[in-house]
Amino acid sequence: MTAVTTDPLASGTQPGWRRWLRRHGWTVGVWLLLGALIGYYSTLIPAFGSFQVASIVNSGAPLVFLAAAQAVIVIAGGIDLGVGGMLVLTNVTAARFMEGQPFLATLLIAVTIIILAAAVNAGVGWIINVSRVPDIVITLGSLYFFQGLALAVLPNPGGGTSELFRWIFTGSRRGIGSNPYPAIALIAIVILGLAWWLGKTRSGLSLYAVGSNKTAAYLSGIRAARVKIVSYAIGGAFAAMAGLATTAIAGRGNANTVGGNLTLRSVAAIVLGGVALTGGIGSVIAVVPAGLILFFLNPILSAMGVDPNRAQVVQGVLIVLVMMVTGLIEWRRRRTT
Amino acid sequence: MSAPNGSLLSVQGIAKRYGPVVALRSADLTVQPGEIHALLGANGAGKSTLVKILSGVFPADAGSVAVNGRTALLRKPGDSMAAGIATVFQDPALIPDLTFSQNLRISGLARDDVMPWLERMDLAHIDFDLLVGDVPLAFLRLLDLARALAHRPQLLMLDEITAALTTDQAEHVFDVMREWKEQGRSVLFISHRLGEVLAMCDHATILRNGSHVADFALAGVDESQLVTAMLGEELVEELAESAEDAAVETGTLTKAFDTPVVLEARDLRLRDKVNGISLELHKGEILGLAALEGQGQDQLFQVLSGDHRPSSGELLVNGKRLNARSPYDAIRNGVVFVPADRQQALLPQRSVRENLTTPLYNRVRKWFTLAGDEADRVDRAVARLDIDVRAGSQAQRLSGGNQQKVTVGRWLASGFDILLCFDPTRGIDIQTKAQIYDLLRELAAAGSAVILYTSELREIPLVCDRVLVIYNGRIVHEQDAATATEEILLTSAHGLEEAGA
Repeated sequence: MTAVTTDPLASGTQPGWRRWLRRHGWTVGVWLLLGALIGYYSTLIPAFGSFQVASIVNSGAPLVFLAAAQAVIVIAGGIDLGVGGMLVLTNVTAARFMEGQPFLATLLIAVTIIILAAAVNAGVGWIINVSRVPDIVITLGSLYFFQGLALAVLPNPGGGTSELFRWIFTGSRRGIGSNPYPAIALIAIVILGLAWWLGKTRSGLSLYAVGSNKTAAYLSGIRAARVKIVSYAIGGAFAAMAGLATTAIAGRGNANTVGGNLTLRSVAAIVLGGVALTGGIGSVIAVVPAGLILFFLNPILSAMGVDPNRAQVVQGVLIVLVMMVTGLIEWRRRRTT
Repeated sequence: MSAPNGSLLSVQGIAKRYGPVVALRSADLTVQPGEIHALLGANGAGKSTLVKILSGVFPADAGSVAVNGRTALLRKPGDSMAAGIATVFQDPALIPDLTFSQNLRISGLARDDVMPWLERMDLAHIDFDLLVGDVPLAFLRLLDLARALAHRPQLLMLDEITAALTTDQAEHVFDVMREWKEQGRSVLFISHRLGEVLAMCDHATILRNGSHVADFALAGVDESQLVTAMLGEELVEELAESAEDAAVETGTLTKAFDTPVVLEARDLRLRDKVNGISLELHKGEILGLAALEGQGQDQLFQVLSGDHRPSSGELLVNGKRLNARSPYDAIRNGVVFVPADRQQALLPQRSVRENLTTPLYNRVRKWFTLAGDEADRVDRAVARLDIDVRAGSQAQRLSGGNQQKVTVGRWLASGFDILLCFDPTRGIDIQTKAQIYDLLRELAAAGSAVILYTSELREIPLVCDRVLVIYNGRIVHEQDAATATEEILLTSAHGLEEAGA
């Protein structure tokens, strides 16, 4: 009886691939940007080859893992300024205890560190829940706490790890070489696993639900408090992965690394990767190329003959541009619906 | 505790307070298996609070709840679901950034669980991969209902589900409720539309000021008896008098307005939503707009209030062309907007006073403090609207009705020529409604002009002078409001009749 002109529930006339592109366009775009930058870089460097690829992937891996850590927490509606501190803490802890140990022992230590980091960061999430103090305040505290603890664990740069452990993250027993495949495989397995969990399972989707609309999530029977703790635990585990990767690359630990800077880079990476800082939106698959791009800007700019100090200016401009493009896309979307 | 024999739900002596405000003093409620039970009460009576307690949103301060004779501890929504209670809230509890199918997943449901219910509501063709945020509110309510039904609850609680639904959508909801009843399950139904309540429900429990006042079987009861019970005797008489006054007033006002035109729209268009609307609004007139959900009225108000530029057409205020870039421009020209969604108008964490003075910020000359004159205006607005300011430290603590009064009151304090009201009484109790309508009539008598869109058609003859019906972005019908019956308006609102009486 009612003459309905357009049905808001039908899939409409849009072909499936167009909708897929609308939803995943950002992810595709960031990967294409990474590809374009690598292509451009290869024209700048006469001897571009597997060594350069390996160096980008290996050295970029810590930032990729750290960005994934931040992404999980931000998607669930939080933000963790402490991830950089966690990276430094796990880096020095690994270096201190792995020094002189055989491969199997280092592997066991690595697993222990990941579990402990998850547990400690879960505690941070728990404190946020109980105290009702905003995430940004509590995690500012945890950032300094981890950084200080790192200095206590390893006052002077040093320590070590096993050669095979270095190979897992770098494809080389000395931490430097031209074999990018172990790092690529490790990132692919871990990140795809995380993306699958977030996007396909009930517990993973709960993170998006809480980040998107906490009240609605709670009313749907989701325990928002528990979800926050889970997101911080996983964030902690991924920050530990970043710390372990750092140990493998450098072959030692350094508590003087400034964790706060690393945190800010993780935030920059997730913004570039299309994760909404307001929560509920984003994909960890897009965060991988975003982290690599941020890392990669320095070598590109230096190959172009730009003063490395100016690279930061470019990064800053890039982040603002990205935010402007996001705003523009959102504005256009709202105009057309 | 002694639950009455065989009752499905037995609530005794539930109390709840928020700081100094007592939301529930002592609420009792008994729901039998296989009945549709109405929960009635004016706004602020405590219905929503009781529903939230039964849904496990927050715990009660005192009292007990028993389901099937067993005491139930409802500390979180999961407890309530486990006890066999599912709720469809006024704001659908679906996650906007997830698809419908992902939303089902987080509730532990599969498509097949909701499909039978979607079929019954004519929604079987839904694309499960739609983002929930892209679905209009009316459909969201139905999707939320389907999800609640899929949990196969013993008791289904529907909080104002029919508000914002079109007539045929509401019929689908009623069908589902009847079927639920036939299966020996129960529904707790909350609605301000007493006609629906009488047509659908078997029993009613009435709350007033947070206490249980009456229980009755609804067979043979009429609307006036329900209203009496909800409001108390004295208030009803008062309202009846003011309604009589209103009838007289509207009677005398129903003439062609010879006052100047203060707002004129010429062939306004906005994409495919507003398809050439022209109208004239006179000084001192209340112009009613009637339409089904989604016929372009939302977009028309966006254009009129300066929130959105029209694709074409022009808007004249006091004979001068208004080319608003933002609501700021419209407000400066005396055109102000009261939205249906209070959240769009209020600063929820700020005080009532601060909310009332927000529109004044534009003209605060003496910084730091509001001038005495402005403080007076605020006091007058509070007094005029009878706003309950006990919970005044935060506007979000007010009941829905009081919040809506604040959204109107903001403009009273700052002054205006043309008031645009978009369904200002949605989900508001009779008493507050009467106050708001009284106010509109008074404002018009004092020389303001009002455009009022309302989803409650029967109120148009009570409040408005003239009514326009919009269908598919066009005006399809115009007549004196005094003679505009619900039937006429509904028929033309469905686009079934191009030219009416």
